[in-house]
Amino acid sequence: MEYKGNPVSHGIAIGEVYRYAPFVPEIEEKTILPEAKEIAVEQYLNLREKAKAELTAIQEKLKTNDPDKAKIFAAHVEILFDTAMNGEIQDYISYDNMSPEWAIKKTYDKYIRLLSKSKDAQIRERTADLKDLRIRLHRIWLGVPKKNLSILEKPVVVAAHDLLPSDTATLDRTKVLAIITEIGGSTSHSAIIARSYEIPAILGIPDIMNQLKDGETVIVDAVEGSLFTQPDEAQQNLYAEKRKDHLAYSAELKKYLHVQPVTKDGTRIEVHLNIGSVTPEELAGSQYTDGVGLFRTEFMYMLSAGLPSEDEQFKQYRKAALEFGERPLILRTLDIGGDKQLESMELPREDNPFLGLRALRLCFERLSVFKTQLRAAFRAGCYGNVWIMLPMVGSMDDIRTAKQIIGEVKEELEKEGVQYNPDVKIGIMIEIPAIALIADMAAKEVDFASLGTNDLCQYLTAVDRLNPHVSQYYQTYHPSMFRLIGQTAAAFHAAGKPIGVCGEMGGDPLTAAVLIGLGIRKLSMGIASVAGIKKLITGLTIPKAEELAEKVVTLSTADEVEAYVKRELESLV
Amino acid sequence: MYKRTVLIQNRTGLHARPATEFINCASKFNSKITIRSLSEEDEVDAKSIMLLLSLAIGQGDEVEISARGDDETEAVDALVALIESKFDED
Repeated sequence: MEYKGNPVSHGIAIGEVYRYAPFVPEIEEKTILPEAKEIAVEQYLNLREKAKAELTAIQEKLKTNDPDKAKIFAAHVEILFDTAMNGEIQDYISYDNMSPEWAIKKTYDKYIRLLSKSKDAQIRERTADLKDLRIRLHRIWLGVPKKNLSILEKPVVVAAHDLLPSDTATLDRTKVLAIITEIGGSTSHSAIIARSYEIPAILGIPDIMNQLKDGETVIVDAVEGSLFTQPDEAQQNLYAEKRKDHLAYSAELKKYLHVQPVTKDGTRIEVHLNIGSVTPEELAGSQYTDGVGLFRTEFMYMLSAGLPSEDEQFKQYRKAALEFGERPLILRTLDIGGDKQLESMELPREDNPFLGLRALRLCFERLSVFKTQLRAAFRAGCYGNVWIMLPMVGSMDDIRTAKQIIGEVKEELEKEGVQYNPDVKIGIMIEIPAIALIADMAAKEVDFASLGTNDLCQYLTAVDRLNPHVSQYYQTYHPSMFRLIGQTAAAFHAAGKPIGVCGEMGGDPLTAAVLIGLGIRKLSMGIASVAGIKKLITGLTIPKAEELAEKVVTLSTADEVEAYVKRELESLV
Repeated sequence: MYKRTVLIQNRTGLHARPATEFINCASKFNSKITIRSLSEEDEVDAKSIMLLLSLAIGQGDEVEISARGDDETEAVDALVALIESKFDED
């Protein structure tokens, strides 16, 4: 059987299916006979030991490579043995004849309510730990085996309805052969992460979870976008060959990683890196690139059980700043909301999250979270060339409000005598058309800008980029995109301020060539795209790129633009 | 019963690592120990990490620590000394 989907991260894999779905226990009110209560207490204590054993095993695994993550699980053990909670659970069993699982639910829910009412955000965020632990206890109680992408027993093809950023951020990249999901497009976070980890991925195969069984062998052709179930031997052999060929092609392309990105006629194009963390794997891209064009700091928040403290953030930013030295390191401030939720922040559910309280708007509401991050960034500024970039800027008011808050932060640091760099550059992400259209005004009040083309496209074409029903309306090649980008780039260049592109368009050779023609000289992308883009640059001339740019804005549809660019660049990609 | 009042001076307050250290210290004693923020009514079991966290005690808050039992004086004095040490944060 063949299923079709969107191949968002190219590659080929053959392997066993591992269906991943977050476990949601259903626990109902239940009483026990009075004479059974001693056994029930005993059962609870056994359960607690089993949970402790799991948590200890996880900590052992994480201890050396990821001590921060290990600490989260140490905190879980602490909660598991909390005297007050344990007293209540045992009282519920002994005096109120509650079943152990119901006593656990009653108690944990009560503490979740208690902490979620706290005036302190840091405390409210601990509810995520309680929820996590309650699920663990109930899962063990019900005898359901644990499923977790961070600790996998053997290499597998992961299938899921959707992967949340918190799932992908922790997944064990050495054991995931491929990713299959029911929803999500090429700019979803699952896609971005899959590409940066170089894991083949096909997204958007409807109802695939019901079609697959755990442990069955499948072929994932994430070049053509095909998933094959029950493959015969001949087919498996064929795809084993194809896999080899694809790996060879990728290896060939990788040779371009090391070249200088200079066009055939001598123009140097800056190639920057998009990163989501400061792990050695991510920072390894440093050797091939001119800096970090986008550090998605929200992943740090997603990995943390609570909100990361100023010092935790400072240490991470400093690590990246030291790695890149004089080359710019652009930190994008917290971009939460939209498709990225934070368990530790309990954000309101919204009907239209992409149009809602997101990113900078949310930071304006949660000033202490915003200021903590800014302080960490300014402090890290002493160790490298740190730039701060604000996401979801829609108006001059946004820029001015943010700058006022930044001014307050600097004043506070000054007053406290904390070491910081007052000259850190402040820039904006251009992803809302309203700010793109007044880029000339914005350019006067900020130090730099970067075009976030994924969101720019979604807001310009009025398409929720995660909604599969409207995916054909999400048109990266829409002539309007190129007109708007050209106009925005011109406004920043006229003001003498740098502007780059850090969205997916910057990493796709076809669109990147047009961007260069529109005057963009700075492209930022995931490590997986660097080689392909350098190959393009070294084969391109500026007049050719300008010819493309002049032509595409005169074409009337996205299909025409795409066909034209493909034809023109055939030999370079 | 023995009780004392003390000012929280460390930056983190009774959160995170300091909270853990506080609980570990309290748990060493036999006495029943409670803690409350002077600005609030409710006192809670000072050996429970979750209840301690629920008080959200931060820098600049004043807390009252009380104990009842055979080692009540030692318990309260040890916890006050721990808070006064600022948990080695500075």
